[in-house]
Amino acid sequence: MPESVSTKASAPVTPKQNLGVTGEMARSESQMQVVWAQFRKHQLAVFGGFVLLVLYIGAIFAPFISPYGISEYSTTSITKYHPPTHVYFRDPATGVLSLPYVYSTKRDVDLTSFETTFKEDRGGPHYPIRFFVHRPDAPYTLFGFIKSNIHLFGVDDPAHIYVGGADGYGRDLYTRIWFGAQISLTIGIVSASLAFFFGLLFGGMAGYYSGWVDNVLMRFVEILSAIPDIFLLIALTAFLPQNMNPIFVFYGIVFLLGLLGWGGIARTVRSQILALREVDYVQAATALGAPESRIILRHMLPSTASYLIVSASLAIPGYILTESALSFIGRGIREPYSSWGLMLNDVTQSGFASFTSRPWVLIPGFFIVLAILSWNFLGDGLRDAFDPKKRR
Amino acid sequence: MLPFIIRRLLNLIPVFFGATILVFIIVQAAPGDFLDSKRLDPRTKPEEIHRLERRFGLDKPVLVQYGYWVANLVHGDLGLSFAYDRPVSEVIPRPIKNSMVIVIGNVILLYLIAIPVGVYGATRQYSLGDKIVSITSYFFLGFPSFFLGLIVIYLLLQFKFATGTFLLPVANMTSGNFDTMTPWQQFWDIAWHAVAPTLTLTIIQVASFARFMRAQMLEFLGQDYIRTARSKGLSERTVVYKHALRNAVTPFIATIGGVLPSLVSGAGFVEIVFNWPGITPMVLSAINSQDIYVFTGLTAITLVLLIFGNIISDLLLALVDPRIRYS
Repeated sequence: MPESVSTKASAPVTPKQNLGVTGEMARSESQMQVVWAQFRKHQLAVFGGFVLLVLYIGAIFAPFISPYGISEYSTTSITKYHPPTHVYFRDPATGVLSLPYVYSTKRDVDLTSFETTFKEDRGGPHYPIRFFVHRPDAPYTLFGFIKSNIHLFGVDDPAHIYVGGADGYGRDLYTRIWFGAQISLTIGIVSASLAFFFGLLFGGMAGYYSGWVDNVLMRFVEILSAIPDIFLLIALTAFLPQNMNPIFVFYGIVFLLGLLGWGGIARTVRSQILALREVDYVQAATALGAPESRIILRHMLPSTASYLIVSASLAIPGYILTESALSFIGRGIREPYSSWGLMLNDVTQSGFASFTSRPWVLIPGFFIVLAILSWNFLGDGLRDAFDPKKRR
Repeated sequence: MLPFIIRRLLNLIPVFFGATILVFIIVQAAPGDFLDSKRLDPRTKPEEIHRLERRFGLDKPVLVQYGYWVANLVHGDLGLSFAYDRPVSEVIPRPIKNSMVIVIGNVILLYLIAIPVGVYGATRQYSLGDKIVSITSYFFLGFPSFFLGLIVIYLLLQFKFATGTFLLPVANMTSGNFDTMTPWQQFWDIAWHAVAPTLTLTIIQVASFARFMRAQMLEFLGQDYIRTARSKGLSERTVVYKHALRNAVTPFIATIGGVLPSLVSGAGFVEIVFNWPGITPMVLSAINSQDIYVFTGLTAITLVLLIFGNIISDLLLALVDPRIRYS
């Protein structure tokens, strides 16, 4: 009641008051506009968002921007641990600038130390880097319906272009990084969504119905959080048999990560719902006879939305990290698929010490770091943007 | 105080049983059976397998087996490790001790570094040092522990190739001639090997701890009683260390209890990277070989420590914060 009185009293005054110097009416901003304006002031968050945009677009167009197929390797010329290809811009003899080109390489095995080296055939022909090449050996389908074999760049056989070197099977690392991005970056989002779905569902149920439902659910969350995550994860991956189709292994890992993450979310959602139930507008809606679904969907969920957006963006890097660790120890994503953690597993092949001779196998790790950092920056920026106390 | 402890214990007992049942169901439901390898081994007599099946009730449903396990547990018997062919209670203390070396070192280092760094960041907010600390801590926050471990190994090996000497050992817990050393030398040998994995773990965690400490200090330095303390002419030193720090550090004291279970769950993937014979490698091999009693035993011990850790945390919190009363 008092509210309506005050609006009536002030109604004729407000438009005049809001007239600025220019005579224009001050526009009120929606919450999202405020958040967006705040977010843009957070430089690191904008940077993180930009990096993520690049990574995700790269992942979507992985088959196009990479010169090779995901598990493509030559059976005639072995390129195991081929170092990154050197790209030349000028002719070494004359020093004249030319279009970028590479030399073909020759594999050499030292018969005493069994060390493999790759020598450039400097006397041989130049292999110019070609753009938008057709490579029938590496066809792909974009978005499930665009069939193509055009790759952004490539070189003619027998030369190779390995921007980031080759792995233990002689496959292009750069190619596999982008294919790995598809899995590593998807897992973060999908697992987090799954965890949030379960967390919202069970947390909402516990908070709304309370009583025995609440008791049972919260005890279960307690039990789940009592067991160290690393134990549970390793034990649960035993459900994915060795001979399982790798695509189902991928779904399995996504599901496991989501399954482990919902507890904490459920707990927070529950406490928020418990507090919200007592809030006046929810009580009013109940008194007016609104059905439960309407109260939950229209009144309760919107007020937890900002919390959910922020904690989702802060939870995603955690899932990316866990997936990479699991794949690294060989209990996550499996060949022939690629993930950044799985690629790092290559480091452990043929003894830890030997990877110093092929440091480029560490490159996928920096992509993990980049993705996690960017998500953290983005999450921090969103948190500050949604927080009215941190307005700048 | 005592009634509180008892009530807390009673509350946590269902968690213990719930969690062990859950773990039991998970390991039992996984495809395969740890007796499979025994059955294929021609040296194992069929009677031996029958005896083992009977002893652990493997022909019975999971919950009955769980009953057997609990009954054995009460007698201090955690079951038999199939991979090692010895009782679990003899197999698991060694990796737990090994993990503790890293975890204890890690916790001490963490507190020693994170608290001063956090205080520095808060007292000289937005200074160059504060910015450098913030940026580095942000940077390391993005590193998976195993990847940082790999980089540390890479750098140490490069150093070795450049100078011919190992700055720090990069793998294992002991040197080759460990058995011939005196106990004192053995102690130093293990400590020497623990440096690289401990530092790797600490670098990653210091970031978030220091950030938290800084936020805590800033919160308390902004309070009214600090202004009062300053206005009555106390030295800045006293204000920061006696008034603000004492309050800001309470959550850190309270989390010490939470460290206990991590002593058992170990240093995780860092142990795998540095080939440290700790808990995580053991859990991994136990699951790989379906050595289920090793796994359930480790989980049970972690749970017990978790329960005690929780209680210790509560008690410590009451000790450092007189406003908290349990009655």
